[in-house]
Amino acid sequence: MAASGSGSSRADNGYGSQQPRRRKGPGALATAYLVIYNVVMTAGWLVIAVGLVRAYLAKGSYHSLYYSIEKPLKFFQTGALLEEYLLIAKYLPGIVPSSVVLTAFQVMSRVFLTWAVTHSVKEVQNEDSVLLFVVAWTITEIIRYSFYTFSLLNHLPYLIKWARYTLFIVLYPMGVSGELLTIYAALPFVRQSGLYSISLPNKYNFSFDYYTFLILVMISYIPIFPQLYFHMLHQRRKVLSHTEEHKKSE
Amino acid sequence: VEPNATIREIRLMFHKLYPRWYPARQSIKLDPKGKSLRDEEILQHLPVGTTATLYFKDLGPQIGWTTVFLIEYTGPLFIYFLFYFRMPFVYGLDERFTSSPHPVVNLACICHSFHYIKRLIETVFVHRFSHGTMPLRNIVKNCLYYWGFAAWLAYYINHPLYTPPSYGKKQINFAVIMFLLCEAGNFSIHVALSDLRRNGSKTRKIPYPTKNPFTWLFFFVSCPNYTYEVGTWISFTVMTQCVPVGLFTLLCFIQMTIWAKDKHCTYLREFKDYPSLRMPIIPFLL
Repeated sequence: MAASGSGSSRADNGYGSQQPRRRKGPGALATAYLVIYNVVMTAGWLVIAVGLVRAYLAKGSYHSLYYSIEKPLKFFQTGALLEEYLLIAKYLPGIVPSSVVLTAFQVMSRVFLTWAVTHSVKEVQNEDSVLLFVVAWTITEIIRYSFYTFSLLNHLPYLIKWARYTLFIVLYPMGVSGELLTIYAALPFVRQSGLYSISLPNKYNFSFDYYTFLILVMISYIPIFPQLYFHMLHQRRKVLSHTEEHKKSE
Repeated sequence: VEPNATIREIRLMFHKLYPRWYPARQSIKLDPKGKSLRDEEILQHLPVGTTATLYFKDLGPQIGWTTVFLIEYTGPLFIYFLFYFRMPFVYGLDERFTSSPHPVVNLACICHSFHYIKRLIETVFVHRFSHGTMPLRNIVKNCLYYWGFAAWLAYYINHPLYTPPSYGKKQINFAVIMFLLCEAGNFSIHVALSDLRRNGSKTRKIPYPTKNPFTWLFFFVSCPNYTYEVGTWISFTVMTQCVPVGLFTLLCFIQMTIWAKDKHCTYLREFKDYPSLRMPIIPFLL
């Protein structure tokens, strides 16, 4: 479940630093840490974006670009797990409970795709579908992390806010398509190699078929993706119309 | 409405006006964001003036706890048998109605069935519920969970390719003894808790150890029934040496720890003299 929108319910302004009602914003030290974290993540995904562009220019085609950004992709995508942990453990303030579940889904699915599919099934690494979701994720994350950075510094350009809540309309389906196609492409190789599968009899009396599991994962996109998408659309209406009112009242 | 009316009477009156919303479904509060008022509360004892504004919330269709428990526990009982007797649609036509060469498989069936029969008996004769009902959609969720897991673990235990425990008879016998002890303990606690409410009252009292040695766990733990329950499932896991059983045990443990912590906090809040040595579910630890 890719594209922009993880943590979308985190109010208009990132970590609740401008929330009018209940929660007070993070203290100065916490803000500093958060700013550094978000700057680093923005930079990381920029590195990935630059890596993609350079590799494309060097090779002249867009095939097999995965290898050029494999390591930073794994590093920064897995880094998002830390972010998710902080959210869940409530070290990040101003978060609505429901968004924790949504972002958890997103992060888990991304990490799953990075490690359990693309990394594990080497044969799919050449697929164009990988490029599809990598590009979607990269653009999304650059916008998202810069959004948080600027919000924390109380200096959010409207362009970034607009980008975050609009580009997902295209990026989200793009990412999901890339993910689904990649999983689908991996299926025959998983079947053949029996990857991550265990069959009876064994002394722990357990069996697991990774092939079936992947199919179930693909099916789970059907109920989950529309929910996330419409949630983002709803957020968009809320956030962007709220800004319009602000502008009018000035 | 009379000033000395109880909330229960108000609920009945409301129900007469609006037949659709029977009393169990009504949540009546003083404040839209506040807690629901209990049946026993009397109107004039509440912080209201000469006129009171009460807020009503529809809790949705309700179902009685006893009914829920009966359905939840009967399912696993019979589902396990489907696998034990190897119905044709489970392991294929070749294996239909065969039986396992391993005695532990029979033992596991007896233990599993015993566990759920015991729970059914307790539901009917022992438990006294403080809330009469729960929302209807809970039953779907709960049944999916109990029935689903029962099917999953029964599948592996009764499978033709089942492998008995690595340490053989020693492991099985040890597990059976632990299983029986924990079941006895769990039952003792349920009886002790039910005795606290013998006259049908709904007030909470601190449970204390009785002459029954199994209840001495109350010295160390607020919810020994959960402790024993986890013990039962650990024993069953050891007995069958089966990962799905282990996973179920883990989930049970997590769920019961959450419940135990809640209960423990409630006790601490309500009783100033609550014994300080007690932990929620595991002595000294958790």
